[in-house]
Parts: sequence; C-alpha cells; structure tokens
Amino acid sequence: MQIDFAAKELTVKLVYYGPALSGKTSNLRAIHWLGTSSACGELMTLETQNDRTLFFDMLPITVSSGTGLKVRLKLFTVPGQVMHNATRRLVLQGTDGVAFIADSQRSEADANRESFLNLKRNLQENKIDPDGIPIIIQFNKRDMSSIRTDEELELIAQRSKEPIYKAVATRGYGVMQTLRGLIRDTWAKLEDDHQLEEKFGISPIRFMTEVEAKLKHDPGPRER
Amino acid sequence: MHDQTDAADIMMGDVVRLEDVLSRDSVTSVCKSFFSLFGLPVRVITHEGDLLADVHRDQPLCNYLNTLDAGERECAKTVGVVRDLEPELQTIVHPCFTGAVYRIVPLEYQGRPIGRFIVGPYVPAETTQPPASLLSVDAAIDSAAACGHFETMPRVREHIAKEISDHLKGVLELLLFSGHRAQLASTMQVASVRENYRELAEKNEALESSLDELKQLDQLKSTFLATVSHELRSPLTSIIGYTEMLESGAAGALSDGQAEFLGTIRSKADQLLGLISSLLDLGRLEAKSLDLKHESVDAHALLSDLAATIVPTANRRNVALDVQVGEQTPKLWGDPVRLSQILLNLADNAVKFSDEGGTVTIRAERGDIDAAGASGLGAALFSASRPAVVLTIEDGGMGIAEQNLSKIFDAFYQVDAGTTRVHGGAGLGLSIVKQLVDGHEGKIEVTSTPGEGTTFVVTLPAADDDA
Ligand SMILES: Nc1nc2c(ncn2[C@@H]2O[C@H](COP(=O)(O)OP(=O)(O)OP(=O)(O)O)[C@@H](O)[C@H]2O)c(=O)[nH]1
Ligand SMILES: [Mg+2]
Repeated sequence: MQIDFAAKELTVKLVYYGPALSGKTSNLRAIHWLGTSSACGELMTLETQNDRTLFFDMLPITVSSGTGLKVRLKLFTVPGQVMHNATRRLVLQGTDGVAFIADSQRSEADANRESFLNLKRNLQENKIDPDGIPIIIQFNKRDMSSIRTDEELELIAQRSKEPIYKAVATRGYGVMQTLRGLIRDTWAKLEDDHQLEEKFGISPIRFMTEVEAKLKHDPGPRER
Repeated sequence: MHDQTDAADIMMGDVVRLEDVLSRDSVTSVCKSFFSLFGLPVRVITHEGDLLADVHRDQPLCNYLNTLDAGERECAKTVGVVRDLEPELQTIVHPCFTGAVYRIVPLEYQGRPIGRFIVGPYVPAETTQPPASLLSVDAAIDSAAACGHFETMPRVREHIAKEISDHLKGVLELLLFSGHRAQLASTMQVASVRENYRELAEKNEALESSLDELKQLDQLKSTFLATVSHELRSPLTSIIGYTEMLESGAAGALSDGQAEFLGTIRSKADQLLGLISSLLDLGRLEAKSLDLKHESVDAHALLSDLAATIVPTANRRNVALDVQVGEQTPKLWGDPVRLSQILLNLADNAVKFSDEGGTVTIRAERGDIDAAGASGLGAALFSASRPAVVLTIEDGGMGIAEQNLSKIFDAFYQVDAGTTRVHGGAGLGLSIVKQLVDGHEGKIEVTSTPGEGTTFVVTLPAADDDA
C-alpha cells in the first residue's frame, strides 16, 4: 500500500492469481463491465493473441470517500502459464491482498494446487508472509460440467482458512461478491497494520458501505 | 509521501509524469490538427507545469495590445493567471479583459491529476460587442483599431467549445492510455527478462558449487585409493620376498608338500600385488596425476613385444595367437609403457576368455580418428579426421551380453560375478585401459556376440611424422 498523506490518498494493490485459463482476466472484464464508470477506470490488458495474459491486466478503481480520503484500488491479474513465473513474481510485488481464482473442473485440481504452491513461494520470495496476507479463493466456471459439486465445496469451505466464493466469471456471477470480499478482508488487514480509522477517520464498515455504493450500477447508460 | 520512487509507481502500474507516456511529437500533432480544424489555439501543460505542446497563431488584437504599456501589463497578467490555474475536476472558463475566454480542462488518469490543456483565447460567439474592459484598458487605446481586431478573433459558441474540448480530452486520454500500456509492456518485458536471468544465474551458481563438491569428493576417493593401495603393497612385497627366500631353501630344505604350498602362496600373493598395482594406477588416473610421455612408438615392435609376453599363457591354455601388422601402419604417438599396458590387458583378457584350441587375433592397421564436429556445422573450422592406428583384439570366447557391454569399462565391474572365480581379477583392467586410451585422446569400442566372441577396437592417434 502507498499512503500519500498530503493528497489524503491511499493506493491499494489487489492481485488475481491462479492457474492458466482459470478466468482471472474474465473476472476483471466482468468487474469493468458491471462496475460504475465513476469508480472503474479503463481496463488495460496486456495479452498475447490467444487471449492469454502475457504480463498482466490492470483495472483501476477509485473510491472518493465522504471523509475526504481517496482510495485507489488497483486490480491486477498475473499470467497463469507456468513459464511466466518471473512475471508473476514481479506483478505480485507489494500486493495487499490476493484473490486466488481456481478452476472448478475436476481435471484442473492439480493445476490449482500447483498454482497455489507457486503463489506461496512467490509471496515468500517477495518477502510477504503468506499466512499474514489476506487470500480468498474463488471457484470459477461453476457453469461447466464435471466440476466439484456444491456439496464438495461446502466441505472444503468448512476446513478452509481462506473464504470460498463461487463464480461464473464470463457471465459476471459471483464476481462482485468476490471483489467485495477481497476488499473487505484486505481493508481489515490494513486497518490492523496501519490504523486507518485513527489516521483518516474512516471505519472499515463505513469504507465498505461507500465501496458498495460506488460500485453498484446506477440504472441508465454509462457516461463514458 | 510525495517522494515515491519510480519503481514503486511502476509496480503499482502508475504514471509518474505525463511526458513519460506521451511523446511531445504526438501531442503536438494532435493539437495541430485540432487547431487547423477549429482554429482554436491549444496548449498542453503537465502537472508539474511544463509546456508539452503549444499550437497557436498570434492574434492581431493581442499584438496590438502589447504595443501599449497598460495593455501589455494586463495581457501578461491574464496569461500568467491562466497558466497557473489548475482545475481539480471541473473545467474552468477564465475570462480575459478583451472579452475573449480561456478554457482550462483537467487531464486525469487513474484517479490522479496528471496535467491540463488550455483552449483559447477565443471569443464566445454569444459575445457580439467588445466589452468596456477592453476599450478602457489603456488611455492610449485606439477604439476603432481595437474593435477591428476584436472582430478577427476566433469565435465559437460556448456549447460547441465545450464539446470539442471534451473531444480533445478524450483523444489525449486515449493517447495517454496507449502510451502507458506500451510503457508498462516494455518495462515488464525488461523486468521479466532480468528476473529470469537472475533466477537462472542463481541456479547455475548452486549447480556449480555442488559440482565442485562432487569433484572434491571424487578427488578424495582417488587419493584414498592411492594411499590404501600403497600401504597394502609394502607388507605384501615383504610376504613375497620371504616366500621366495623360503622357496630357495634359505631356511632349510623343503618337503614337496611345503614347496607346493609355498608356490600357491606366492602365486596368490603375485596376483594380489597385480591387483593392488592396478588400484594404484586407477587412483592415479582418476587423480589425473598419471604423466603420459609422448613419443613415436613403432607398431611392429609393440606387437612383437606383446606376443612374446603373452605366448607362454596362450600356450598353457592351448590358444593360438595370430598377430598381424598392416603394411602402411603408421607409428603411434604415445607412452610406450602405457600402450603396452593397454594391449597386454586386452590380449590377456582375450586369451583368458578363449576356449581351449581357440584363436586370438591381434591386428594393427592404418585408420583415422574423427575430431569432434568434423561432419557438423562449421566443419571447416574444426580439424577434420587425423591419421590413426587401429588396434583390433579379437577372441572366439564366450562373448558379452549386449546389456552388459556399456558397463564393462566401469571400475570394479565384472560382467559375471562367476567369472571372477575362474579367471581372477577385480574388473579393474578394462577401466584402466579405457582411461589410458582416453589419456591418449584415442577411443575404444567393443562389439560382442555371446557364444561367438568379443572384439575390442582401439583407435589411437598416429605420430605426426608418419602422417
Ligand atoms: N464456461 C466458462 N468459461 C469461462 C469462465 N471463466 C472463464 N472462462 C473461459 O476460460 C478461458 C480463459 O479465461 P481467462 O479469463 O482468459 O483466463 P486467465 O486466468 O486470465 O488465463 P491466463 O491469462 O492464461 O492466465 C476463456 O475462454 C474464458 O471464456 C466461466 O466461468 N465459465
Ligand atoms: Mg489472463
């Protein structure tokens, strides 16, 4: 996180991590399309021809709080392909929270595990404690066949340290819930570490209320 | 915390300065086309206050006013104010005393102000008369001239001015976005390459250090081998010496039984000594401390010496020796003692593994040896094949199974544990032969058909004078 006291501005970095093709970019696309233009900036994608992310995608979200504090949330995706590990590690630098996008398909269980181990290793290499940073897990592609069932996910959720979300990113289902969960957990951690309420007079609850209000689509066409 | 480092901003995907992502040239050409389309002057200024583009034509009205003292003063004041105005979020329309206006539009990127552009001065089409502030600005003003110049000012309706400013804002922000995208891509590209390189370099270092460790261990092993065999040899030499003395009757006459037992003791002790010497050789070879002499060695002489040495054993086993030296066989280049050792080892084996009444063929002839890469790319740059002597040792013995062929040059390997019993030896011979051949920059190959026999082919470099 970057704090600019003079400008009363916070910049928070959130990273969407996960195996190749799990739907990280799709999550950002859906947020960009569901979110309001007053909060969401342009989605920047740096991808190869086949829709594979090469460096990262970035979506800036700006929340100007009634308290005068401006919070810039920067959402990043990493390239999931194994060979881009160096880039993944770079994108992960200085992150404040991680949404791990898992692929619900049974066939992808190994890829999910592999990628999660890779996340832990890369966090450590970036001197970020994997046990300290907020991580949430989204099981995406709930619309596909031969996936882990809802009952299985419930069992998983019971013994999981990380909160579990379900989504169909391509249709936008569950994407905003995931994002709100990620922001809430990350803010709670930042509050613990930096006493934001004391410094900027904004409580976690107030912040989340404002985030939800800013992100919620007002009916009518987009201005931009 | 305004002194954020560039690295942190890049990590956050932020733009530090407008001019980092927008080239002056592209901004200027956008402004030029804006000017030629709408006739409105435009200037782009960064958040830090630097002028990035400036496209305008001097207005006759402004030129005229600048000839008047008070006019010039007022003009400079307005321009100064306009330059320093930084709108937060909303466009500011700043009036000039001439009745013209300046439109100052903020440029914002990812929630941060990054610069602004100024459109004007222009006269809103709604204003038809020059204002009093123009005509009273200077005592010396010529009203008619001022009004004439006022008429020539660029004119546009306010709502149109707003629309085209919004359009320009959109174009500039799009340029900014793609410039930023390109900047991030190239930064990431370089950073990723660097990161990959760092990772590889670290791994290489780790590999190298474990290689060094292995080498040290290997060295330790060789030293150990050499020391142990040396230490074993001294007492054994004494045993052999005393046995010989006993045999020669130095300690009194021997019964037939005693003589026979002593004979067995001595032959076993000799065998043991041979084995220990081989160990010592192997140790030296592996420690690379074996100094090879290099001189011309005549193949005829080498083979006849060999035959002389091996004949008694061959006769005892009723094995025939067939020694052939090809007419054009060149001289070998190497260490005569070691070359005999190579041949003796192979020939001794051949005799040992031949059946009664079999034949061992030992042949020397001219050949060549391939230098590495001789047939590959850039062959011209690598020395091609060079003359060599090919030594073939062929027996008609039991042969070696295919799966064992690759292992026979390993130290301590014996093809069939059972054969050790019958023929003696600890499998060191071939490993020493291989190392000696390697030491001569030669090569050794083996082919075998179980039940029919084995053929060793040793190719060794020829001496230059014979080439
Ligand atoms: N059926 C279905 N397909 C999905 C869903 N989410 C993503 N996909 C598809 O999965 C493919 C990969 O999605 P992306 O979002 O590009 O995956 P990614 O994680 O960004 O992949 P990398 O950039 O290579 O790491 C695309 O063809 C998407 O259309 C989903 O919820 N359901
Ligand atoms: Mg992607």
